[in-house]
Parts: sequence; C-alpha cells; structure tokens
Amino acid sequence: MNRLVAFLAAAALLAPIAALAGGDGAKPAAPPVTETSALWLGPEKLGVLPPPVIPPDNPQTARKILLGKQLYFDTRLSQDNTISCATCHSPTMGWSDEGPTSKGIKGQMGGRRSPPASNSAYNPLQFWDGRSPSLEDQAKGPIQNPIEMGNTHQVMIRTVNDIPGYVEEFKTVFGTTPITVDQVAQAIAAFERTIVTTDSPFDRFVKGDETALTKLERRGLEIFNGKGRCTCCHWGPNFSDGRFHNLGTHPDMEKPDNGRYDITKNPKDMGAFKTPTMRDVGLRPPYLHMGNEKTVEDVIVFYNKGGGLQDKNLDRMMIPLGLSKGEIDALVAFLEHGLTSLNPEVADVKPVPASEMPQ
Amino acid sequence: MKKIFVILLVLIALPLALSSPGQAIPAFARKYGFNCMMCHTAYPKLNDWGQRYRDNGYQLPNQEGREKTLFDSHTPIAFRTSTGWNGYTVKPTDDASGQTTSGFGVKGLDLLAAGVLHKNVSVLLIYTPRIDEPFGDYTGSSESQPGALESVSIVFSNIVKDALNLRIGRFEPAYHLMSSKRSYYLLSPYDVYEYQTPGNNFLFGDNQIGFEASGHFRMGFKYGLGVVNGTGALPDNNKFKDVYLTLSQTIGAGDGQNAGQRIGAFVCYGKRPTSLSDSLSIPSPTGEVAGCDNKAYYRYGGAVSLNWMTFNLAALYMRGVDNDSYELIEETKDYEYGGGFVELDYAGLWNNRLVASALYNWVEPPSEDTGAAEIAAYSGLIRYYIGDWSAVNVALHAEYTHRILEATDNTATEDIYSMLVDFAF
Repeated sequence: MNRLVAFLAAAALLAPIAALAGGDGAKPAAPPVTETSALWLGPEKLGVLPPPVIPPDNPQTARKILLGKQLYFDTRLSQDNTISCATCHSPTMGWSDEGPTSKGIKGQMGGRRSPPASNSAYNPLQFWDGRSPSLEDQAKGPIQNPIEMGNTHQVMIRTVNDIPGYVEEFKTVFGTTPITVDQVAQAIAAFERTIVTTDSPFDRFVKGDETALTKLERRGLEIFNGKGRCTCCHWGPNFSDGRFHNLGTHPDMEKPDNGRYDITKNPKDMGAFKTPTMRDVGLRPPYLHMGNEKTVEDVIVFYNKGGGLQDKNLDRMMIPLGLSKGEIDALVAFLEHGLTSLNPEVADVKPVPASEMPQ
Repeated sequence: MKKIFVILLVLIALPLALSSPGQAIPAFARKYGFNCMMCHTAYPKLNDWGQRYRDNGYQLPNQEGREKTLFDSHTPIAFRTSTGWNGYTVKPTDDASGQTTSGFGVKGLDLLAAGVLHKNVSVLLIYTPRIDEPFGDYTGSSESQPGALESVSIVFSNIVKDALNLRIGRFEPAYHLMSSKRSYYLLSPYDVYEYQTPGNNFLFGDNQIGFEASGHFRMGFKYGLGVVNGTGALPDNNKFKDVYLTLSQTIGAGDGQNAGQRIGAFVCYGKRPTSLSDSLSIPSPTGEVAGCDNKAYYRYGGAVSLNWMTFNLAALYMRGVDNDSYELIEETKDYEYGGGFVELDYAGLWNNRLVASALYNWVEPPSEDTGAAEIAAYSGLIRYYIGDWSAVNVALHAEYTHRILEATDNTATEDIYSMLVDFAF
C-alpha cells in the first residue's frame, strides 16, 4: 500500500510539469498561425457583428470596393469566360450556390460545396479546410483551380491587363501598372469585406426589439444556445468558431475527404471541416460541406442523432441531443427566418451587368 | 428504544438541513455566453456534453488551449441558493401523533469559482459560507449552515490525452456514479450515501481530500482511481489512506447522462481508527493523529443509467462492510449493510424547462439487532425553469419525501415537503 501511495504521489508531483509541457505528443507542423487566429479565443457570446477587421496593407476605399465588385462578377477571369466568383458565391443563393457541390468550367463538379462569401471577412482561415489565412490569399485560389475557373494567374493577369478599362481603374486605385495578381486579390477581398449581414431579426432582437423574433423563433434561439448545443461551435457574432470539426458526414465513402488533415497532417483533423456561419443559412440549401442534407431540418435531425456516429474521429462534442419534434421546429424557425439578413446593401446586391464592366 | 429513534431521526434530518444545494456553475455559462442547458439536462444535473466538459478539466473537448483563462474572462464567481417554504412532520412511533414544523428559510448557499488557469490546468472551488445568525444570537435555527470549503481542487487534464487526468484537492470522488451534488433533489439526498455506520466517520456521500486519476475513452470506457483520506473536517485520523476504483462503460453514443446506456461498478477500501487517539499520540503537522486499533472498511456496488428519449432511469446498489465493528455489534463481527436507489427523471417542454422525477431510496442495516432502522423513502419532485435564451437559471421547485424507518419493534415516519425557488447566477 505504501508503495502504491508513493507511486501515485510521485505521479501527482510530475503531473503539473507534464501538463504544462503539453501532453499531446509530437504534432506535425501546422501552417503559420495568423494574428487573427492566434487571438481567436472563445467561445464568445452570440451578438451583433462588429465591423470587420481591415488589414493595414489593404485599406478599404470606395473605388477599390467597386473594382472588386466588378472583378467578383467578371467571368473573364476564368479560362473559358464562363465562371466568375459569383457563379459559385451568388448573392441570390445566400452567397453560395445551388449545389449540392459546386460546378466549375466545362460542367465539372467539385468535391465540396461553396462556402458562403458573406461574412467571410470574419473567418480566421478561409476554405472548408482552412488552407488560406486571408481573403486576399483565398481569392487567388479558385482562379487557377482546374475544376473551378480553370485559368492560370499568368493568363488571367494578361487578360485584365488587355482590358483598358481595368488598367485605368487599377491605376486609379493602386497607383501602379501593370496589374498584378495581388492587386486583383486585394480588390476582390475589399469587396468581400462589404458583404456583411448585420440586420437579421436576431440582431434587432438583441438590440432590444422584442417583436423582431416570434415566440417560436425565440424558443429556437434558446434551444440553439442550450439543449441543441449549437453554440458550442456556432458561437460569437458570426455564429462560427472558425475551427474544424468532424461531424461524421461520410463514413461510407470509399475515398473520404480528409478535410483539414490534408493541410495539417495532424490525425485529430482527419475528416474535420470548418464551422460555417449560420447567418443567412436559410438562403443556401443544401447543407454541410458536401451538400448531403437538403434542408435545415435535415441537418438538425442529423445532429439530433449525434452525427455520423460510425466515424472513428467523430468530434467529442457530437452527442445525441434528444430534441423533440417541437424543439426541432423551433430551431428551424429561428435559423431560417431569425438569422436571415434584411439589410438591402447586401441582400439586394445585383450582378454587375456586362455593359458596366470595364472594357 | 424511542430515544434511539429520535436520535436516528435527528441524524437523518441534520444532513438534510445542512445539505448544500449542490453544483451548478453559472460562471462557466457566463464565460461562454451559453445557456445553462448546454451543460445540464436541466441544472444541476449534467448532460453528456457537460459531463465531457467536466471530464476534460472544464475545457471544451478538443479545444484545449483555445479558450479564455481565468485571467482573460469575467470574474469567475457564481452563487447558488434556494429559498422558500419547508415543512417537516415526524411520527416517532406507530401510535404517536405527528409533530410538524414548517416555515420559510434559506436552504444553503454555494459560492463557486472555477475556470481554466492554463491549458489543461483548471480549478474548482466551492465555499459554503455560514448562513445562520451571528453566534451570539444563535437560536438553533434548523436552517443553519456552518461555513465549509466543500470543494477545492486543481485539475491537470490530458496528461495522456483523455486517458490520464489528475484531480488534486477536495472533490467529489468518482465512485459517485450518480452525483448527489448534481441531483435535482434538494432535501432528499440518496440515503445510502448518507448512511453513517457506528464508530466510522467515513460517509460515502462526502467529498474527499486526496487525488484522483481518471480517464475516458472513445469506446465509452471510463475509470477513476483515487487515494484520499477523509473530508478535512472529519479526517481519517490515521496514517492509512483510503483507495478506490470506479469503472464504467457506456453503450451507444453519449456518456449515459442523457444519451447512451451506462453501467458501472465501484469499490473503495480504507481503514478507520476504532480508538481515535491515545495519550501518547502527537498530532502531525497536517493535523493527523495516529489512531489506534485500525480496522478495515469497504464499500462496493454497481449502477446503471438508462436513457430513452428524455427519460433517464438510474439505479444504484451498494454494500458496506466495517470489519470487526464495535459497540453496537460484537467486536468480532462485521457491520454489514446495503442499500440503493432507483430514480426516474423526465425532462420536457422546450429546452427541458420542465423536470419531473420520482425516487425510491432504501437502506438495509445489519440483520443483528443494532437498533438501526431499515429505511425506505419515496420522493417526488417537479421543477419548472424560468429564464430566457441566454440563461435559464431560476427553478420553481416542489419536492416531497415520505420516509419510513422500520426497526424491530417500532416504525417511525417522516414527511418532508418544500416549495422553493432555486436560483443561480
């Protein structure tokens, strides 16, 4: 007995040292942690969105935002002049697309669904797998993705430099010529930072308008933040932790999408994908990164079962919820209506017509 | 014999009067902005998510190091108390008329502080301040609560990811497979947890001082292994430490709190001094005194927790043995008793705002005529929670218990009833 006590006492003394030294074992190198994600401690309370953080090296100007909007809707950035950013991140589809996954040039289907461009300014990392640390970096990706816009940066830059209207606008905005890939990305990112949905019934409710949410929607909000346990990942003003979780969405696939693991090579990230914002979620079915679930209700039913329980790397936060049909209905009401933005400068954004594109 | 009954009734009633409301920690909810029902089926009972959060050292599972520490967040202090009307009726014998006392009162107060100090290092402190009148005016109110440090522990989590966590201090031991600290019942604790054997100050329901290693695994298996030595107020008073082991397995998704089906077993073993001290003993710097004539005692049992929709059926059975117990039984004989409880909980309305529960407790004392009564208690409660989307932290609570104490030649009964407001902030 005395030996046992001595052993356990020694373990007790060593434990703090081991804990402080980090007990997770050796980890493969992760991509550099950006300042934004390093400061991203949470969870935070649900609330009203603050203004997005503007990077010092890409300040917002009205001319740059307009230029970015033109580029965002310009199909000439793609290899065959058919695909623009807005094709897959359409304002009429909640800044995503009709899915289930995204369609690129020549009718090619991507493996994942388009994450919404709205409120993407609040993501510490971009893409479903977080491989990009900023909107500027993200904007360059799809242009040269063979399934998406199918172009190369060199060809795209030659194209825009051959358009006098763009050369003139870029010179006005950036003060230099010729146009560079970084300038294109900066302009698009500047526009995307204006796609901020700030006037949902939820926002009005938390500002004090008791009538903004119906009784059913208020119950849905309470369940969202309580028994439904939605806010353990969908927290903060943007309803997203910006982190990566494995929900067990496709355990039966022959070649499952590794998600975040392909970026970090950390086994705990296997099958994990970024938590999307819940703002305007009712506008962009279907859901999850592969569009597996057709409706908001389908997603809640999926969570109510505890997600894909067969997945060996299922997130520890995924546990059956025990929601009743009435509670599911309340959650659906809150998500589909209570979080749908009403601010016209975002909700009513129209594509830039060809006649207004730089020529 | 009647005197013995009265003494027994007082011994049973005293813990009820002194019982702390238990644990629910709004400081956590405030830190994250979560509603109480994130972690609780309905507070104070933990749901599976809350259990995993607790098991992970008050950190979100897999999010260690990425949440605010005590230095970054709001003041991590919370309060919980309940106040309202209580009634107590006792019939000391079959033919006696009932004696009733009732009135308004405050049933204990908890001051809680908890949070993360550093990645995988967290603390929990529960202080129950004295809430009776100042000593000079003390008139013996049944609502007295002596000040006590109910719990203070530091947790080192994920020393080996999920598999080894260490809790040091004064804490609720893992052999409480059903937590009496987080039970809906405010006045009727699990009788078998509170059963006091003669000459042994170990109480199964008490928090213990020492350390505990624990682990939880994806397959649903959990263990808890501890070395402790009493409560502090009631130290073991000898150099021998008590040890315990708890094992449980959950079948299906969840931790058996509100999802999955859990089965578990526990055993704890210790020694208690049958003579508290002798004239030659010198207290150690930590206050211990070498006890004399130490004898072994042990407790063992099993529990199941079954879930269907929002129903939870929990049952626990345990046996206790004090070797060569003395005074009431012959010294050469062991003092053996058994008991348990069956509890059925239901949570309903949206966000589990309504809770109803039925509880049956029983304790079987030794078969020898020790004067101890067999206990059977029937309890029921209903709670309705008030609040909004950010917090559901006020519960209207009605509870009733009918307890029968049946001895060889007499049967006594007591009825406890209350209508309280149980709130935390």
